[in-house]
Amino acid sequence: MANPASKRLFKEYRGLSSDPPEGITAGPVTEDDMFLWEALIQGPEGTPFEGGIFPAELKFPKDYPLAPPTMRFTCEMWHPNVYQNGTVCISILHPPGDDPNHYEHASERWSPIQSVEKILISVMSMLAEPNDESPANVDAARMWRERRKEYERIVRGNVRKGLGL
Amino acid sequence: MAEQTVNIPQTLVFVILFILALRWYFSRPTPGATPPTGTRGVAPTLNRGVRINPVQVETVAQMFPDANRRSIMWDLQRNGGNVTATVERLVEGRGLDTPPQSFQPPTLRTSNPTSRTAAPLPKPAHPDLITRYNLSSKIGTEPSSSLPQSDVPKKAWSADKNERQQMLQRRRDDMILAARRKLEEKEKAINSEVGS
Repeated sequence: MANPASKRLFKEYRGLSSDPPEGITAGPVTEDDMFLWEALIQGPEGTPFEGGIFPAELKFPKDYPLAPPTMRFTCEMWHPNVYQNGTVCISILHPPGDDPNHYEHASERWSPIQSVEKILISVMSMLAEPNDESPANVDAARMWRERRKEYERIVRGNVRKGLGL
Repeated sequence: MAEQTVNIPQTLVFVILFILALRWYFSRPTPGATPPTGTRGVAPTLNRGVRINPVQVETVAQMFPDANRRSIMWDLQRNGGNVTATVERLVEGRGLDTPPQSFQPPTLRTSNPTSRTAAPLPKPAHPDLITRYNLSSKIGTEPSSSLPQSDVPKKAWSADKNERQQMLQRRRDDMILAARRKLEEKEKAINSEVGS
């Protein structure tokens, strides 16, 4: 627990455990390594993700919170802003100045005042409202735009599959 | 007059011959190393992964630090370990093909045995949460019997490391089981509605 990154992560872990946000469980896989976390996110209500629990892993860099973690869903995830391998692509996970396309405002991107909690809440709202501008999964984005019914059917299927039903 | 104008067909033929000569000249030194077309067919394809020479990968990676190592391995494997061909592709800016998701170079696999999830490679199939956290035995149990519900939010943090770990695990399990129960009930309700 010597370095500042571990310390900060421990503090965030404590905060998330004592006062967990609705629909979110997160913590290190083991406290021996504070740089690898596992999170469960509940599908937001009123969306096809409703009722589902989506596991993801967060990997923190050694210089956290200067640099953001990476987040990857470890379940089937059909979403415009999630790569096929599960990696989440949203602005809060991008360091400032790392946006060659200028899609995002600097304020939306990662900075040390953000937190794991904010990331997870952002991802939750991303599930509800995909960002169509720079899709990570082009096929999912197209389906979301053009064949919403089919998109929702796939997502609901994943919800059931994830819970072993 | 007519004799002085440039003869276009002749110039063309000359240019083509010149290009062919150049190509022949530059490709001469390589056959000594490995004839690319030959090895591809002859390669012992039983375990193709073994054929990747880490030294070759390193050579290319050092010349092109930006190039993805997996892509380099993939290219080397496909051209039978022809470093020159891979380098040429990169020099000419053609870029390397993205390896298929199933491609797992052996050197990558062994290079980081510490990380739990190997490389950031996409997993083709994910186990469901019940299998993953071994919750099948807890599926049938009632929510009230498995945990005193009021207890959980009150005591969410402990000074003891192991206890903390257990509490996190329990919160996680409860979240999954509760979601499953809810979805099951919902589906049951829908089914009975349809049935009646």
